[in-house]
Amino acid sequence: MGRVIEVNGLTKRYGHVLAVNDLSFTVPPGQVTGFLGPNGAGKSTTMRMILGLNRPSAGTATIDGRPFSERRAGLRHVGALLDAGDVHPGRNAVAHLSALARGNGLPRRRVRQVLEEVGLAGAARRRVGGFSLGMRQRLGIASALLGDPPVLMFDEPVNGLDPEGVRWVRDLFRRLAAEGRTVLVSSHLMSEMQNTADRLVVVGRGSLIAEETVAEFAARGTRARVTVRTPEPARLAAALTAAGAVAAADGHEALTVTGLPAARVGDLALAHRIPLHELTTRTASLEEAFMELTADQAEYRAGDRR
Amino acid sequence: MTAPASPRAVAPAPGARRHPVADPGVRFRDLLAAEWIKFWSLRSTRWVLGLGLLLVLGGTLQKSLDAYNSWPTFRPMEKAHFDPLTTAFSGVTATLIMIGAGVMGALTIVGEYSTGLIRTTLTAVPARGRVVAAKATVMAAVMLVLGAALSLSTFAVSQAILSGRGVALSPGASGVPHVLVANGLLAPLSALVGMGVGALLRHTAGTVATCCAVLVIAPGFFKPTVHQWANDVYAWFPFYDWVNCLSQRHPRSAPALPTTTGSWIVFAVWPLVSAALAAIVVRRRDV
Repeated sequence: MGRVIEVNGLTKRYGHVLAVNDLSFTVPPGQVTGFLGPNGAGKSTTMRMILGLNRPSAGTATIDGRPFSERRAGLRHVGALLDAGDVHPGRNAVAHLSALARGNGLPRRRVRQVLEEVGLAGAARRRVGGFSLGMRQRLGIASALLGDPPVLMFDEPVNGLDPEGVRWVRDLFRRLAAEGRTVLVSSHLMSEMQNTADRLVVVGRGSLIAEETVAEFAARGTRARVTVRTPEPARLAAALTAAGAVAAADGHEALTVTGLPAARVGDLALAHRIPLHELTTRTASLEEAFMELTADQAEYRAGDRR
Repeated sequence: MTAPASPRAVAPAPGARRHPVADPGVRFRDLLAAEWIKFWSLRSTRWVLGLGLLLVLGGTLQKSLDAYNSWPTFRPMEKAHFDPLTTAFSGVTATLIMIGAGVMGALTIVGEYSTGLIRTTLTAVPARGRVVAAKATVMAAVMLVLGAALSLSTFAVSQAILSGRGVALSPGASGVPHVLVANGLLAPLSALVGMGVGALLRHTAGTVATCCAVLVIAPGFFKPTVHQWANDVYAWFPFYDWVNCLSQRHPRSAPALPTTTGSWIVFAVWPLVSAALAAIVVRRRDV
């Protein structure tokens, strides 16, 4: 049975700051949906509103057609990892999970099972305060899995994980989705999503930028760029511009051309009898497509004097 | 489970597993058990409770032995005014218990907010009012047991020592039971007040300071005055009522002093209002 997260016109205002602005999207079951955007784009606020932790200024968020805050046994409906730090450092992992399990009427053995599943069985009796960030992420994932929920939400889950851990969570997300669950994973890194997500919800400054499959999103990035090296860049640039391309100087004796394929660039050079020393097509990566889309959306940028 | 898909359900993805989400409606008992685990799984809980118990009993022991040893040197006036109940449970004892219990109550709430655990807690159990109710119930129950233990043990220890001088009271003696009850209620009362303040302020230092001020420090300065309105205001503070009425075997009746009935009402209203306040504030605010 599919359980859909539906976000409708969601808005959150903090004083004069519009953290989330009329955001609408759908997260279907059976897939990993990447929730992508630069830091400060409103991803965490949106997830908190979906979970009823923050009250929206306007709009609604439902899971399986109902606001999450109406549920009594939350862990059985949604497993969420918002911030790995959301634990009391004085408790050990077993106590932390046992309290959560008990509060949802879940059997004690689930605690053992999830600790083993995330690879923390050996640290079960250690106080969380002594955990590394990676271990806390695993503990947070363990609490999300506790209630065997049909919907899972993870906010920047790979922070602090070692490469082995990163691979493990990717496989875990894929497996959870393959089991028919709804999986929403936020990240500010496109590369994170490239291998994990099926769909993307891209946000910037609290607004929706794109909601599409990874393949569709990747297609935005295939606007090829051609790099040409020539001893006569000015003449070539003029010829290319006349043909409708955009040619930008790229260092000494080189141009970056968009809007024309490499073959046409070569033909034009020949027609104008301009010698070429290099002609290369560069395909933009997903990362570049993402950067391009969100360039104006990042809240804070290096060198940004405000 | 092969329940038919509900009309609004989206078609399952290929290979989708069915997740029969039963929401059995978590029983309040489960929430109590969860808060019970959380309370006892902090190492500091046992330390604070154990040390507090030793500190209070040690104070009583010392005071009782002092009285026992000095008894032959007391003048007749002093012997006539000697109060075995104050020897058992003095104003300092009450202060210690109220501050200790108040801070513990406050920290159960503030600890959730300051660590961020509250987000995990409320994601697991979105019914916030029930979470606060469970927390308050566990806190009140533990503190009631602790308060009763302190009230009875200090009484037993002191009277056992004082019986050697023939001035001990029996628990059933006139005026004793209500003092024992009032002494025992200080801990749960203060703990719930602490929870209310903690929910309101959500900041450790501010909460501890406010708890101490409201519970003990401010009312500690109050003295009955000729201004009746001031006396009426003072009578709304539990510590003032305890000092001037409930801790006395035979409370004096005077317009300037709190009445017994009024004092019991204050002892009931403060924890109840505090718990209600905590529930309201936690429900309303973003976390």
